[in-house]
Amino acid sequence: MSAAGKTSYIGLLKNGIFGENPVFRVALSLCPSVAVTNSLKSGFLMGIGVFFVQTMANISVSFVRKFIHSRIRLPAYILIIGTWVTVANLLLEAYSYSLYKQIGLYLQLIVAFAIILSRAELFASKNKVVPSLFDGLGMGIGFLIALVVISFFRELIGKGALWDYQLVSTKPILLFVLPAGGFFAVGLLMGFFNWIDIRFFGGHGASGGGH
Amino acid sequence: MKEIIKITLNLMVVFIVSGVILSLVYANAKPKIERNEAIEKEKALKSLMPEASNIAVQGTYEPMEGKMAEYYVAKDKDGKVLGYIASSYSKGYSSIINLLVAVGTDMKIKAINILHQEETPGLGDDIGKQYFQDRFKGKALDQLEVVKLPDPNKIEAVSGATISSRAATKGVRTGVEFLIKKYQGVSQ
Repeated sequence: MSAAGKTSYIGLLKNGIFGENPVFRVALSLCPSVAVTNSLKSGFLMGIGVFFVQTMANISVSFVRKFIHSRIRLPAYILIIGTWVTVANLLLEAYSYSLYKQIGLYLQLIVAFAIILSRAELFASKNKVVPSLFDGLGMGIGFLIALVVISFFRELIGKGALWDYQLVSTKPILLFVLPAGGFFAVGLLMGFFNWIDIRFFGGHGASGGGH
Repeated sequence: MKEIIKITLNLMVVFIVSGVILSLVYANAKPKIERNEAIEKEKALKSLMPEASNIAVQGTYEPMEGKMAEYYVAKDKDGKVLGYIASSYSKGYSSIINLLVAVGTDMKIKAINILHQEETPGLGDDIGKQYFQDRFKGKALDQLEVVKLPDPNKIEAVSGATISSRAATKGVRTGVEFLIKKYQGVSQ
């Protein structure tokens, strides 16, 4: 991960959105990318949740990075992430109950998202608070954009609707809102972004795979 | 040995700080959450019987093993019984569905309201949408049967979500059966 060497904050933001986009480039947190993206609304709301947790977790982990013993860093990070997820959950339930009823179920799953722990371990635990903040913001936005793009196509193709608003009366390819369709959508989009990368920017396409 | 102590202290501090943050947020949010839930329930009851001026809890029954649900009598301002409402539970595809069903004094369904469900997003959770809940309006107990094609005398399933539709219908049926047993013939 080359991100640690970069100092410019704009560069950190861009890295999360393009260079190491959690879903399309690094291929982490693919499970939620498939599970919650069958409508634009839930994809977007989930993206906002991840954005909040990623940013707060990065700040907190960076803040305690010198204090935490390396052998227990993972349980400590998970605890920190869990704390922020619970905070997000409680605040949403208290201040926007109708929204909570729609995404409360997904929100709790953020604890287990690979991307958040991965940024805590790879970036925030080695960098100062401000760069970690920008890394968190970048990754959060990158994840949000990825979920919005995936769910846009899945809802449009699978249900003929956008943001719960029915555009055509039929469901063009129902498969796309089913779990199997999620794999198609993510795979095709990842391939598409790889193609752009290789064709126009001379890159090598996305690297590894995660879960 | 020294390492163990440092690790223990480390974790303890992290736990305590997390605990403090959580309890502060929780103490702040809890009253609001409870109020939200109460308002939500009130609104749900009201929307099922908009003409009633008084909806009072009568007691609880057990629609599903281990789950107690409340039932209500709805009266207008002169104290005349307008109908009955029961809360009910049933097991869906991926969650326990909680709903309210309102019947008139003729024991036909006036409206239902799915209060809580966590069915498959995009498919099963369509049972929470108005178009599906409207299919219950005016139905009697023996019409509560799920079919896959439109049928004015039956309940048409949400396409792609037969299990969730059946589960919701089962919950409604349990509620209506209870209300019939309890109140049929007793009214007025």
